[in-house]
Amino acid sequence: MNTAGSTFTMPLGPVHVALEEPVYFHLTVEGETIRHVSLTSGHVHRGMEAMATQRNLVQNTTLTERVCSLCSNSHSFTYCMAVENVLGITIPARARYLRVLAEEIKRVASHLFNTAIQAHIIGFKSLFMHTMEVREMMQDIKETVYGNRMHLASNCIGGVKCDVPGDLLDYILSMIDKIEPAVEEVRELYSTNSMVLARTKGLGLLPKEDALRLGVVGPVARGSGLRMDVRRDSPYAAYPELEFETIVDSGCCIHSRTKVRLHEIFESFKLIRQCCKRVPDGPTIASMRQIRDAEACARAEAPRGEVFYYIRTNGTDIPARLKWRAPSYMNWEALGIMMRDCKVADVALIANSIDPCVSCTER
Amino acid sequence: MSDTLLAILHMIIFPGGIFALAVGFFFKGLDRRVEARLQRRVGPPLKQPWLDTAKLLTKETLIPKTACRQAFLLAPVFGFTGMAVCAAFIPIPGVYSGLNNMGDLLVIFYLLPIPAMALMIGGSASSSPFGALGFSREMLLMLAYETPLLMILLAVAMLAGKSIAGGAAGAEFSLLKIVNWQQQTGSLGLNTAMIPALLAYLIFLPGTLGVAPFDIPEAETEIIEGPLLEYGGPLLALFNMTSALKTFVLLGLGVALFFPGVISAWWPVNLIWFVLKCLVLMLLSITVVKSATGRLRIDQAFRFYVTIPAALALCSLILVWVM
Repeated sequence: MNTAGSTFTMPLGPVHVALEEPVYFHLTVEGETIRHVSLTSGHVHRGMEAMATQRNLVQNTTLTERVCSLCSNSHSFTYCMAVENVLGITIPARARYLRVLAEEIKRVASHLFNTAIQAHIIGFKSLFMHTMEVREMMQDIKETVYGNRMHLASNCIGGVKCDVPGDLLDYILSMIDKIEPAVEEVRELYSTNSMVLARTKGLGLLPKEDALRLGVVGPVARGSGLRMDVRRDSPYAAYPELEFETIVDSGCCIHSRTKVRLHEIFESFKLIRQCCKRVPDGPTIASMRQIRDAEACARAEAPRGEVFYYIRTNGTDIPARLKWRAPSYMNWEALGIMMRDCKVADVALIANSIDPCVSCTER
Repeated sequence: MSDTLLAILHMIIFPGGIFALAVGFFFKGLDRRVEARLQRRVGPPLKQPWLDTAKLLTKETLIPKTACRQAFLLAPVFGFTGMAVCAAFIPIPGVYSGLNNMGDLLVIFYLLPIPAMALMIGGSASSSPFGALGFSREMLLMLAYETPLLMILLAVAMLAGKSIAGGAAGAEFSLLKIVNWQQQTGSLGLNTAMIPALLAYLIFLPGTLGVAPFDIPEAETEIIEGPLLEYGGPLLALFNMTSALKTFVLLGLGVALFFPGVISAWWPVNLIWFVLKCLVLMLLSITVVKSATGRLRIDQAFRFYVTIPAALALCSLILVWVM
C-alpha cells in the first residue's frame, strides 16, 4: 500500500472473486472514491495467433473455438466465414440457418450468465441462483443438441459439422417455450427490484459522445444509445432473411446495459424460432476449394459485440497470418470513463457491465 | 463458591462460551440450510460450521510481514472474549437470570460493539488496503446502527421504569427486572407502543451481524472480505466463533427484551422454548431478509439506518414518553 497524501493505491485483481478472468486494476482511491484507474492485462496470453500459423485451416477451427468459452461459437463462426471468403466458398442455405441457430443459443446463455454475475457482485445470492437456474435450461439445449455444454463445435469450413434433425428442432422450440416465461420473470426482477436498481441505475456512465469516440461495440454501445449491430449493419449467414430488432437504450448506465442484454435475449428467441421453422432442407456443407494466395476478413456480432477476423493464405493449408479482434478490446478502454469518481463498491459492478472477456482479448 | 468464580463459569460454560457457541453454530448451520432451501439448493449439513472451525483450527497461522503483530493476533481473542462475557449477561427466561449482580442493560450495550471493534483493529493491523477500507466501512455502519439500538434500549428501560416501583425509578436498566416484569404483565413485543421498537430491533440485527443487505464491511465481491482477508487458520476460526456467539447474544437479547415469556416451570422446556424463539427471530430478521436482498452501498446503508430504524425507535420512545 502506497500512501501519498489522502489517496492510496488499491489493487483489484488479477485474482479477484468478482472477476471471472484475471485482469489487474490499479485503483487510486481517496476514501471510498476512485480517483484514477489503470489497467494491466496479459495474464492469460497464450500466443494463439502464433499457434494459428502453425496449424492448418481445419485445425484452426478447433483452436479458435477455444479462444474463449462464453463466445466460443462466435469465434469459430467468424473464422470459418473468413476462410470461406478467402477460398471463395458459398455455404449451403441449411448451414447458414444452423449457424445462426447455434450462435443465438450461445448468445442467450452468455447474456444470462453476465446478468447472473451482476447479481452475484451485488451480493444478491438468490437472484444469482435463480438466473443461473434459468441459464441451465439453455445449457440443457446445448448439451442435448450439440453434445457439449460450452464448446458446441458446430461450425466447420464450408458449413456446419453436424446436422440438427427435425426432432431436435422441435425439442429446441419446446424448450424455448418453457424458457421464455422464466426469462421474462428474470427481466422483470432486474428492471423492478429496488435493490438491483439502487446499485445499477445511473452508475458507470458512458455518454454517447464518449462511446462514439472510443468505438465501443455490442451491448455497451447499444446501452449508450448507439444503434450498432453487425447482424444488421453488415448482414451475414441467414440474418438478412430473418426478422429481429436491434435493442437500444439511451440510459448510458450499468442498468441500461443489462436492460439491453435482457431484451436481446427475447430477440434471440425470435431468431431461434424463425431458424427452427424456416431452415431449408439440403446439404449442410460445401466442398473445399483450392487454397489460393489471398487475404480476406469477416466480422460478426458476438454476445459482447463485434468480433473481427483477418486471414492471409499463401497457397498452403497453413495460414500465413491469422488475426482477430475481440469486442472486449474496444470496450475496456471505456472503463476509465465509467469508473471516473465512482465508489470502490461499484468497481467490480462496472467492470462486469462491459461483460469483459479477458481470454478473448489476450488470446 | 465465590461469586466471581461462578461468574467466570457462566462466561466459559453456560450460557456464555461453550453453550452459546453450540447454539450459535446450530443457528448458523440452520440459517445456511434454510437459505439454501429458499434458493432451491440442498445446502450444507447442519454440522458445517463445526466442520469449518475444525478445519481452520488445524491450519497454520500466517501473519503478514507488514502487519502489526500483537494487534493482529490479539484482535480475534479480544472479540471472542468480549462476546463470551456478554453472553453471560443475557438472561434465559425461566432458566438463568444473567449476571444481574454485575451489570445490566448498559453493560450489554457497551459489550455489544466489541466484535465489530475487534474486526476494525484486526483489519487495520493487517496492513492491507482492503482491511483499511473494511475498517472505515465497519465504523460508519456501527455509527449508523448503534443509534437506533440505544433508542430501543432506552424505550424498553423507560417503559419498564414507569411500571416497576410505580415510576419512582425513572428508567429501569436491570435486564432481569425487565424480564420478570414482562413475565407478570405481558410481553413487550405485543405492546402497541413497543412494536416500532421491535421492528427497529429486527432491522438492527442484520446490520450488526454483517449479513446482506448490510454485509458491507466484509463484502466479498467488493473488498474480498475486507478485515478478514489476511486472517486464516485458528485466528479466522476465532472470528467465526465470535460471529456465532454474537448471533446467540443478539437473538437472546431480542427475546429477553420483547418475548421473555415462559411456558413451564421445568427449566429444560424453557431452554428449548428460548432457543425456538431465537430461531424464529433469526429466520425473520436474517435468513429471509438475506435471501431476498442484495448488498447496499455503505452510503445507502448509512442513510437507511439513520432514517427508518432510527425513526421507528424514536416513535416508540415518544409513545412511551406520552403514555
